[in-house]
Amino acid sequence: MVRVKSRYLLCEVNVSNRSDLLLLDDRAVAAAVKAAVARMHGDYGAALCSIRFSVKYLNAHTGIVFLRFPKRCYKLLWSALPFITSIESRRLTIPCFLNCLHVGGTIRTCQKFLVRYNTKQLHRMLPKCKTEEEKQQVRQAILSCCLPGGNKEELEDDLESEEDEEDEEE
Amino acid sequence: MSAAKVKMREKKMRNQPASVQYSSSVIAESSSRNGGRDQPVRGGPSGMHPSKKPKGPPQTGWVRGRHRDGVGYTKEMPKFITAGAFARARATEVRAMLKAVTKTTASSHVFQALPKHMRRRAMSHNTKRLPRRLRDVANRMREKSLQASSKKKKEPAKNKSRKARRRHGNLLLEFNRRQRKNIWLETHIWHAKRFHMVKKWGYCLGDRPTSKCYRPCYRAMSSHCLLQDLSYYCCIELKGEETKLLAALSQLTSKEAGPMFAAGLCLSGCRQGSVTVYRAGQYPSQPLGPVTFLWRPQTQAVTHRQLWIWAHPTLKQDLLPELQSVCQCHEAVPQVLHAGVSDTSQPASKPENASEEKLKCGIKRKRSSKDASEPPVKKILGDGTRLPGTPVTWKSDSTGIVINDLTMEIVRYRLIGPQSHSVLTDTLEAATVCHEVNKSQASSFWWPQHCKDENKMNLHHQQADVFHTLKGIFSTGELLPGTVLGLTVDDPRLTLPKKKVKALPCVNQAQEVDEEKRRALMLRGVPEQCCQSFLWERSVRDNVTDNKISEQKLNQMRSEVLVPGSRLSPTPPQGRVPVLLVHQPGKQVGNEMSSWGAGWDLLLPKGWGMAFWVPLVYRGVRVAGLHMSLKHSQNKAVPHFPHDYPDCPAGVRFQEEQEAEFLDKFRRRPPAKRTNYIKHGCLAPFRCPWQQLAEEWEVLMREEDGQSQSTTKTDVSMKEEVTSQNIVMTKPPSCFIVLRERRSLRLLSAWCRPTTSKGQRLRRVVKVPPPSRPTVSAFLAAHGSSLVWVRLSLVSKGKPEIHAMVCVPTAEDLKLLGRNPVNGPQEVPHKDHFKCRIKRQKKASKKAATCPLPTDDPLSAPVPVTSTAPQSSSDLIFGLWPDPLPSVTSHCSRVTLGWVTQGDFSLSAGCGEALGFVSVTGLLHTLLHQAEEHRGTLLLRNPNSLHYRLTKVNIEV
Repeated sequence: MVRVKSRYLLCEVNVSNRSDLLLLDDRAVAAAVKAAVARMHGDYGAALCSIRFSVKYLNAHTGIVFLRFPKRCYKLLWSALPFITSIESRRLTIPCFLNCLHVGGTIRTCQKFLVRYNTKQLHRMLPKCKTEEEKQQVRQAILSCCLPGGNKEELEDDLESEEDEEDEEE
Repeated sequence: MSAAKVKMREKKMRNQPASVQYSSSVIAESSSRNGGRDQPVRGGPSGMHPSKKPKGPPQTGWVRGRHRDGVGYTKEMPKFITAGAFARARATEVRAMLKAVTKTTASSHVFQALPKHMRRRAMSHNTKRLPRRLRDVANRMREKSLQASSKKKKEPAKNKSRKARRRHGNLLLEFNRRQRKNIWLETHIWHAKRFHMVKKWGYCLGDRPTSKCYRPCYRAMSSHCLLQDLSYYCCIELKGEETKLLAALSQLTSKEAGPMFAAGLCLSGCRQGSVTVYRAGQYPSQPLGPVTFLWRPQTQAVTHRQLWIWAHPTLKQDLLPELQSVCQCHEAVPQVLHAGVSDTSQPASKPENASEEKLKCGIKRKRSSKDASEPPVKKILGDGTRLPGTPVTWKSDSTGIVINDLTMEIVRYRLIGPQSHSVLTDTLEAATVCHEVNKSQASSFWWPQHCKDENKMNLHHQQADVFHTLKGIFSTGELLPGTVLGLTVDDPRLTLPKKKVKALPCVNQAQEVDEEKRRALMLRGVPEQCCQSFLWERSVRDNVTDNKISEQKLNQMRSEVLVPGSRLSPTPPQGRVPVLLVHQPGKQVGNEMSSWGAGWDLLLPKGWGMAFWVPLVYRGVRVAGLHMSLKHSQNKAVPHFPHDYPDCPAGVRFQEEQEAEFLDKFRRRPPAKRTNYIKHGCLAPFRCPWQQLAEEWEVLMREEDGQSQSTTKTDVSMKEEVTSQNIVMTKPPSCFIVLRERRSLRLLSAWCRPTTSKGQRLRRVVKVPPPSRPTVSAFLAAHGSSLVWVRLSLVSKGKPEIHAMVCVPTAEDLKLLGRNPVNGPQEVPHKDHFKCRIKRQKKASKKAATCPLPTDDPLSAPVPVTSTAPQSSSDLIFGLWPDPLPSVTSHCSRVTLGWVTQGDFSLSAGCGEALGFVSVTGLLHTLLHQAEEHRGTLLLRNPNSLHYRLTKVNIEV
């Protein structure tokens, strides 16, 4: 089938002060990207960036961002990303830079990649832990995200709830 | 986005992770636009929220959207981040992503989760084609969908196979069940296969054939024969002494409206008569409707007279109580349920239900031999909807009159057209006399009994003679209107042709003797004694009904005949039926096409309907339904009941039904595709406010008299606005009268005619002086607020439609008449003042509908609008004037006189013709002001057009 194709960039927002990350929101990120593209590529770039560009997902805790660009010009837009040095959010300027981790054709591949990446990161975090309490928490986190059994149960529950909803609709 | 789209998107995005961020008042608005994304991740917030943060209140930390308590973000944000919290956030994200990846979003089919190369054909049908791990889920989904579908459409409870359902007994049961609500005519099955059926007046009636045959039906009416089943007409039988009957019935009618029940020829039983019945002593107000009546010819030794009154079913419910009160028959005679067939002592009180139960023939009972325990199924003959205990007979002790409700007891077929007599003579054959019957032995059939009686046989021979003479007549219209002929005929199924043949007249074989007889028949009618028929006697009717030979038996007899296809002889003893032939007059009014649409009515005992119907159809007649009977009366220029009786209760009911039907049809269209009747200046496109019309014209004339004949339109309209208000206030229930007095109608008709018209003067003998002011005012004093039924024929083009307006032409309009081609004036489009009001309402209601959704928003709360919107929008329909109507007469540029109740292109006249009512006051006023040569010219405008057409008005008596 014919569809509009896009590229999804999975980026990581790197900040020096971790607590600044919580100030982020999707509009601020989008504005920063647009500003950088306009600065680098001028009006042409700004125009490209105004079509079908969006921030699909932002996690303020982990600093993960999904950006969607049109496939036609994603390289051009991507080239402007390294020039972002700060994001202005909530009247505060957060110095940061964007690190692109993955480029995907669908949001699904990005999600799959993110799952892998996050688990790897958690595994990496484990030996670096300083206190026993931290270690315990991280271990728990790893367990909670990789236990396959829990996942399956959830699936079943969802199916049930789905049924209920549909019944209500009728 | 529509609600459905939002819902779908929500479903799709349900498993997709939403952004996780601290909310702020600035972004709240923008994010709420993103549809489903503002749903928090399931299970995310609780797990993700760092428990260690003391300042972040857990209930507000992850709420996206508007802040409720107005806490600023700086306060709620944690100051530092621990590794454990971070790890947990990571883990939560992983879970969310995993969920997004693993769960399918688009459709809920399980197999769509499979990669394409693993999909197989018919996977949704057969779950075994799925991999085993998905089978459970798929099975459950399938069950669910099956349940849902079964819930949607109720499983039809057809547990019997088609073969079982179509078995005769079961079919009869089913038919009887379906007849409980609406009465079926005997020809119902025949009609249901060929006609669009409608449920009307408690009957199932054929409206029009499914085949295209409007013109063939018209041609049949004007050149051959058209057949209709009129069995739904109700017959009420009155028995009693002649003087007492006449005294009672004379209260219902008036001499001024034409002949009454006591008319000489009708009373002898030679003619069928027709009258308009009024409520007792109320003439000229409160009419009930038209009825036809038939007296039984007097027989020696019997002083009691018998009278049949035939009425339309909607009229019957009004007429029957009126008759009861007039005849003082309030005592219902209980039904004798087990009256035997031969029991003739109480013929009047024997109900039809008894004969229904005793019916033996006409039913195939194959299964009854197999299991006798099952009660045998009986075909319903007569009224199936009536409860067994309902009385059908009432008698009075004081007057001795017995009223008998013979609804569905007698089958009535109408043959219309000049050749209907040849169809009849072709189909029916006078009964053959039984010679071989043993004279001493009593037979259970009626005919052998009658054959023993010399007098009865003489009468039968006379009747057969007259019937034979009928064959030589050229056209049905030549006979005297209303002629009655009683007859006994053989079963017409015996002479059924193998193929459909067209019955043709046989005039060429005329001989001298026949010529003489024929002339006597045409001039003098049927001799009096020949009008007698055994159909009048209930015992004979029941005997005939009960002893009908079944179709099966007849076919068996046919198969045993030596030469296949030859006539069955001898006639079986039960194969004689008494019938009555009643001549129906054709067009009696007007000068052109006289006696068009004349015909015969065939009255039969019940149960014999199909036995006569099929042989008649095999004689090449056309069969028509209700639609064609309306057209028949329209071409005949007679008012059709109940369409053209707006002053009768049945007519009022009909008008209400019609209005509801038209309004429903109108509202089914989208507003942009509807006719805007306000712009066309049509106040009442679906009903005619006759009452308002009559009153307004009366007021108008009074005003004018007061002002000594100075009529200017502005004046009138100004007055109208004032008066219309008063009228609405003081409206007595239905006090307008339709003028039916013969003398006044004749006068009006003479006045309407232009003096210089060709052809119309020829037949007029009496010269009526043209209307002058004193004569008109005298006329108006008598019939002020009445309406008169008129026929309008268009001068040039145009097809009038129902509820078209009849208007008064101005002097300039009449000048157009001389021009060629004649072109009527145009109405200036009106302005729709209600359009903006409807729009405003719609906007308000829409706002009101959307407003309640954001409940926490304090800014938008126009609650009073919501409460008013629904009720006001219901009475304002786009394109229709809301009640109360303004002045109906002076709403348009031409003053309205009345409305059309039926209109169509008349195939007989070759131009558009309309039948309608106009106000007498308005008509006379118009005639008075018109020049001699243009007298009787009016304007006609369809409700959905702005073009006026010139018409000529005819009042025919």
